[in-house]
Amino acid sequence: MLRPATAESVLNTARRGGADFAEIYVERWRRRTLRTIDGEVEEAVSAIEQGAGLRLFFGTDVVYAYTNDLDDAALAELTQTLVRLRGQGGAVDAAGGGGLDLRKRAATGLHAPSVAFDALPKAWRLDRLRELDAGARIDPAVRQVEARLLEWEQDVTVANSEGAWVDDRRVRTRCAAVVIASDGDQTQTGHHGPGLSVGLELFERVDPAAIGEHAARQALVNLWARPAPAGTMPVVLGNGFGGVIFHEALGHLVETTSVARRASVLTDKLGEQVASPHVTYVDDGTTPHGWGSSEFDDEGMPTERTVLIDRGVLTSYMVDRWGSLKTGYARTGSGRRENYTFAPTSRMRNTFILPGDAEDPGDLFAGVELGLYAKALGGGQVMPGSGEYNFAVKEGYMIRDGEVAEPVRGAMLVGKGPETIQLVDAVARDLTTEPGMCGSLSGSIPTEVGQPHVRVTRIVVGGEA
Amino acid sequence: MNFERAKDHVLRRATDRGVDAEVLATSKRELTLAASGGRVDEISHANQGGVGVRVVTGGRVGYASSEALDATSLDWMLDEAIENAGLQPPRGAELPTGGALGRSDLLGEGLSAAVEAKGAAVVALEGALVADPRVDVLYLARYVETETEAVLGSTRGVDGGYRNGFAMLMASPVMRQGDSVKQGWDLDVGKEFHALDPSRTSQRILERVGRHLGAAPLGTGRYAAVFEPDVTATLLRLLLFSLSGKSVAEGKSRLAGRLGDRIASASITLVDDPTLAGGLASRPFDAEGTPARRTPLIEGGVLCSFLHNSDTARRTGQPNTGHALRSYASTLGVGPSNLVLEAGSGLTLDDGVIVTDLMGVHAGANPITGDVSLQGLGLRVAGGESRPVENFALSFNLFDLLERVQAVGDEVEWRPGGGFGMIAAPGLRVDGLSFAGA
Repeated sequence: MLRPATAESVLNTARRGGADFAEIYVERWRRRTLRTIDGEVEEAVSAIEQGAGLRLFFGTDVVYAYTNDLDDAALAELTQTLVRLRGQGGAVDAAGGGGLDLRKRAATGLHAPSVAFDALPKAWRLDRLRELDAGARIDPAVRQVEARLLEWEQDVTVANSEGAWVDDRRVRTRCAAVVIASDGDQTQTGHHGPGLSVGLELFERVDPAAIGEHAARQALVNLWARPAPAGTMPVVLGNGFGGVIFHEALGHLVETTSVARRASVLTDKLGEQVASPHVTYVDDGTTPHGWGSSEFDDEGMPTERTVLIDRGVLTSYMVDRWGSLKTGYARTGSGRRENYTFAPTSRMRNTFILPGDAEDPGDLFAGVELGLYAKALGGGQVMPGSGEYNFAVKEGYMIRDGEVAEPVRGAMLVGKGPETIQLVDAVARDLTTEPGMCGSLSGSIPTEVGQPHVRVTRIVVGGEA
Repeated sequence: MNFERAKDHVLRRATDRGVDAEVLATSKRELTLAASGGRVDEISHANQGGVGVRVVTGGRVGYASSEALDATSLDWMLDEAIENAGLQPPRGAELPTGGALGRSDLLGEGLSAAVEAKGAAVVALEGALVADPRVDVLYLARYVETETEAVLGSTRGVDGGYRNGFAMLMASPVMRQGDSVKQGWDLDVGKEFHALDPSRTSQRILERVGRHLGAAPLGTGRYAAVFEPDVTATLLRLLLFSLSGKSVAEGKSRLAGRLGDRIASASITLVDDPTLAGGLASRPFDAEGTPARRTPLIEGGVLCSFLHNSDTARRTGQPNTGHALRSYASTLGVGPSNLVLEAGSGLTLDDGVIVTDLMGVHAGANPITGDVSLQGLGLRVAGGESRPVENFALSFNLFDLLERVQAVGDEVEWRPGGGFGMIAAPGLRVDGLSFAGA
């Protein structure tokens, strides 16, 4: 995709134009999306995406430009444009004119797929989605089944003026079901969508029929559920995607993207007790075949396992290059971006709460007279400045007298992250993770969220008053 | 290859292979300037474009796109599109027949100011915001300008293009007063850089965020509610899902089958108008080359049309309203242009809650059922006074709410509509709404 001589020329032009650091990121994606409704193809799309992003640092000021055109002349023009926009066109630094000793590193194949992108016919894919569809037909109330298969192959090269050169390939596959169930009066939906850094061998790990059945069961539970009550109560958060609450309410607050701007309430809190001692929180970019894993981040640094909170004490932020310059904290391999149209920022990879000391998830319900079991959560939102968050409960049950009771729908959890994380009073041992897409300044990226079952002593639950 | 040549290359190859094809090529130039510490500290400059093909063969549709314009990539794209079409059962799909649509310029010289002047505008915005002692942190202060060009052609005769664009100022401050911390954002957008006014934008942002400082919890209960225009726009974005002919064709719209029925209070009239003079989302034709025209959706509470492209119109047996929406990388969809909820006779509130912000729409609102449970910020009005309230959740059903609208505000505000659309929204009053708080 990128010739070393081209990279060297671009990086040197930037340095001569006064940049303290220059980085060129080039990628080429092939993507396929196949979507069926009730077993018939609704959408079949293929795409090539290709482009380059050029990022220059002048101190901690950042300029960024991107283009689809990878010709030498186009990249040279882009570099010139950036240098000119910065307004220092005349300030040539002769020291930047020397040769670059580019040291190449390539991925070792830790997350490599076993089934190649072009290996199987399209009809094979359609058969798997039809198996998903059949698996969802568990009740006459199931009215519509949507199945979706996403296949991504991304080749990335990052080179910078420090002489680093990294080649990485990321392959990801995800299969998702959306099931609509109706009893003629109410209509409810259920979702399930496993995904990993693998090829089509995803279906050796996950049975497509089970994906459909999982989503259908959620839709049916919601159909039979009563409206959730409103009020403040103890909440047990389900394992797996239940972890999205801490992704939003805690994870985003310890990215240097907000910490370096002092826009997070957790700024300058390293070494302090910011969470309940039951909470140990980890962001790990190295999990083999994890949905959010890669061998290198989008700044060309090897990814690592970062312990963010150790038994309630804040031990690390997630730090990208810009965040490191601004704060002085060491980079953690957390610079990520959706694609070449975004400059990287500090982002989560696979983020989860480690198992705690409650032997059995059932122990978490014991002693709760009246509470909510938020078994599955939907997406959420947080304001990094104040830590205010909200989450939709996709599958919820009341807890009555220490037991899981009737299903409820329409519940929403509302609160402030730094308060909620202090109120965790029990963590089980059944850690699982699930894939999601996380949106922030550098776009929408694949991340895993996860946790064991977790109990919070009180959260405001929005329902019907 | 450039876009015109890439389009011609693909159409020629499609004709050789005996398939109908439509090629949409779009490019976008974007400049972003961010200010901090009294100067421009972040600049980004972008050129992005690509070619998308929609192939129709034997009543089947297939899509593919490429940002690489070499012949090998374009040929892979066409092959994949034809193969994608082959996965489908015949559905009677066809490409609309069209004609010459000309080339239009809807932008003119609105963005031609020097980059230094644009930098000065965002620095002025930043300066005015940080000068307020209540501003703890300025999360972002940005100037963004976008210029777009579209070229459309098909083997069925469609041939046209247009150029458009806008400039905007936006900011998001974190404000503090004692222990109370609030973050908010707002933007100003227009087709002329010179029409932007940093002092007007900063004043409005400070007023909108600052009024929430010192917010107290709201007691659980039922209150009369006034939705500010921003919140009305949020609800309209949600309603668009059910007004989309695509949702109707896919069996997901609760409003399907209700054309001619009273679905909202008589005070509700909703129109989409791509021909609005000077409208930010105006367009001469849609993504399939159907010429633009004004479309009433709800008149006096009565549902009179959905938004349709040629495909959803054919599948539902309803008229094509010319609302095809697509980028080179996406499949054919449906989308509004300038969506206008017409102003009414005005609002009053003596005892109730003014809802100023609703958060978490992507998670707390179900567009299919219309069930909404969202976090809100607002102002509690009682006894001639108003005080800020927070940390409450608002629960209602959107379709139920539309029927319960008691009054519509007498002025509209323009807000981004999602996608390429814009929304003009007035305030709304609804009584007896359920609020969950402390």
